[in-house]
Amino acid sequence: MSTADAAVAPAPAPQAYSGLMDWLTTTDHKKIGLLYLMFAFVNAWAGGLFAGVVRLRLWSPNSSFISPHLYNEMLTMHATVMIFMVIMPAFVGLGNYLVPIMIGARDMAFPKLNAFGFWMMIPPALMMYASFFTVHGSARGGWWSYPPLSGPQFSPGAGESLWALAIILMGIASIMGAVNFLVTIADMRAPGMGWMDLPLFVWSNVITAWLLLLAVPVVSGVMVMLLSDRMFGTGFFQPGLGGDPLLYEHLFWFFGHPEVYIMILPAFGIMSHVVPAFSHKKVFGYKGMVIALASIGVLGFMVWAHHMFTSGISPQAQIFFSTTSLLIGVPTGVKIYSWLASAWGGTIDFTPAMKFALGFIALFIIGGLSGVMLAVVPFDIAVHDSYFVVAHLHFVLFGGSVMGLMAAIYYWFPKMTGRLLSEKLANWHFWLFFIGFIWVFMPMHWLGFEGMPRRVAFYRPQFAPLNRFISAGFLLLLAGGIIFTYNVLHSLRKGERTSDPDPWGVNDVQQSLEWTTATPPKPWNFDEEPEFVPAHD
Amino acid sequence: MNMDPISTSLPTPHGGAAAAAPPGHAAHSDPSAHAPQPSGWPLLLAFGIGLFATSFFLLASGYHVMPLFYLSALICVLIPALGWATTIARERHHQDPVYTYRILRRGFFYFLLSEGAIFGSFFAHNIYLRYAHAKTWPPVGAPYLDPHLAAIGTLLLVFSSFTYHWCHQAFLKGKKALAKNWLLATIALGIIFLCIQGYDWGKLKAFDKFTYQHGAFGSEFYWMTGFHGLHVCVGLLFLSLVYYRMETNQIDQTYNFSLTAAEYYWHFVDIVWVLLFFVIYLL
Repeated sequence: MSTADAAVAPAPAPQAYSGLMDWLTTTDHKKIGLLYLMFAFVNAWAGGLFAGVVRLRLWSPNSSFISPHLYNEMLTMHATVMIFMVIMPAFVGLGNYLVPIMIGARDMAFPKLNAFGFWMMIPPALMMYASFFTVHGSARGGWWSYPPLSGPQFSPGAGESLWALAIILMGIASIMGAVNFLVTIADMRAPGMGWMDLPLFVWSNVITAWLLLLAVPVVSGVMVMLLSDRMFGTGFFQPGLGGDPLLYEHLFWFFGHPEVYIMILPAFGIMSHVVPAFSHKKVFGYKGMVIALASIGVLGFMVWAHHMFTSGISPQAQIFFSTTSLLIGVPTGVKIYSWLASAWGGTIDFTPAMKFALGFIALFIIGGLSGVMLAVVPFDIAVHDSYFVVAHLHFVLFGGSVMGLMAAIYYWFPKMTGRLLSEKLANWHFWLFFIGFIWVFMPMHWLGFEGMPRRVAFYRPQFAPLNRFISAGFLLLLAGGIIFTYNVLHSLRKGERTSDPDPWGVNDVQQSLEWTTATPPKPWNFDEEPEFVPAHD
Repeated sequence: MNMDPISTSLPTPHGGAAAAAPPGHAAHSDPSAHAPQPSGWPLLLAFGIGLFATSFFLLASGYHVMPLFYLSALICVLIPALGWATTIARERHHQDPVYTYRILRRGFFYFLLSEGAIFGSFFAHNIYLRYAHAKTWPPVGAPYLDPHLAAIGTLLLVFSSFTYHWCHQAFLKGKKALAKNWLLATIALGIIFLCIQGYDWGKLKAFDKFTYQHGAFGSEFYWMTGFHGLHVCVGLLFLSLVYYRMETNQIDQTYNFSLTAAEYYWHFVDIVWVLLFFVIYLL
């Protein structure tokens, strides 16, 4: 390529904007990552307050606080916002910030597409919130929106249609992001860095991107069908017109279950950095961890119907999907043992990030085990649609994804901002979240066993004491959220400064490049292109 | 498994590094030149798409909104898209063509995989209804879908994949006039295919009174062929763009990714159609 090299003219120095224009026009992967994180942060407050409204309504069995109609809206929007507008963008943001630095790249492969992916999240988010102000209110068919409940007869009005349209638009953003991640990691690794030298957070992003690339288009297709059923009178899922609502469940969960791993695999990657770092040991079983991630990704496409054991699928299908779901426990177990082995015998620093990481392990084991229980068909039939499932999903999504996310923020905040978060406030945050979480979600297992159905605004009076206990626990989570918000906003302006490339002193045990460059990193990441020298042991 | 600290060579501000830069990375002495150029187009395009989707939504819901609104929404999509494309064309001379070609090709290929998954959801819908749900297929009252005309369309579309391939080969060998002829042939075949599909649609609607509201069978037929037809239209735009760029000498032996992208896209549209023809007309 000697002739082509000669043809390359040096790039002009990038234009420099400042202030708001800088954020609006940035193509720097780090700034886009921060934008994603801010977006998630704002929406987390909205989604959290929706949950608060739900808990207030459930304070008494027949509350008059809000109408059941509004309760359904709150329930639906809490899940939708938390899944599509908090956890997904937060992890995409972290990946955006960290993946190029970890592999020694200057930026993502397609910086403008990267910015487009973020901005593409804004119109659908506005649509979601705007749908509250339409005649019949927002979507209220749950984040799964099964027809016929989400069909034109039972969900009249614009809300449900806007919801479906917003999911399609967010899908575009996710697919563009996934393409960008895959190309970046495949083609932009520092010289000398092979696939099996990648930090585990990068590996988790590879698998997540593949899941996004192949699962999200399916939900886009399904939402096109649902939308046209609602708006143009087609019959894709309408029983009266030869369509089949059960098929919607199949197609939706074909996306929906990989989606669950999209939301947890990045947290797995984070754990594989935080736990070894603060145990001052190298990560245990790197190869096993990569294989476990990949097999979770593959198995994730073969378990979708375990959400449908009571929907009327054949016993053969039940056995198949039960078995594959149980199998997922194996690679997940490998990962948990690897984290424990990474910490085993190390000198553990109980920093806030490490506390959240250990909290993750504790809570995720509980959520994982209740997942194994739910994979068993007879057990699932007994507790299906009960609060047991609510407990399970919050143990993996809050106890798992959110705790992992918090660990990541406490771990990489100094790198990203050049300032330290207050450790005292962080500890308050951790204990409020950890205790508040167990307070709120552990009793839901018992409510489920007792037979309290999920998604319903009314319940039998004997469940009132536990429901009040749970609703009171919400205040602990709220307090934790306020402290975290204050800590971040205060530290951004007044936090103690650091310019140490490796503020935690962990690079001797880490396998990732972010601790070798400046804090905070310069727009071009590395002054000199880093070279990765693999050591063969 | 490697766990050693990573070595970063010491920064050497000027000189030497340029010659030693690895392939795939443009050589610079000033590291700040590695920062990506800011651009307002992504934001504008995203909001244009949001506006376009909103106006589509309003139109489909039967709200009365001024036509000017739809027009401006369309403009808000087109201007940023053109602006973005122009910026990319301008910036390409600062990038290593081999490396740029490689990442673009890989990215486009992955994008097509996701497109395939969208079509996959429709195929899955069709197969499921056919074998696991409906008592008879096609359902009672559905018209006979005559495969003869569609078969001719299929042959023409398959042939157009070959003509485009010959166009690509000719261009890479420097035979530009020949390449342009093959490209025109491809575009013509694509248009004929669309006409055949349009005729088929019109016939079904006029004589068989068969519309997309004709139950799940009709919805599937019109949505699958329509979604594919939309892709053929985009493909034709793509091919016309390639023709324009050949005509104005914007692509040459070194910078010709649009030629490859159009080839991938056109083959993709072709493969999807063959499957569609098999599933809808023959199965």
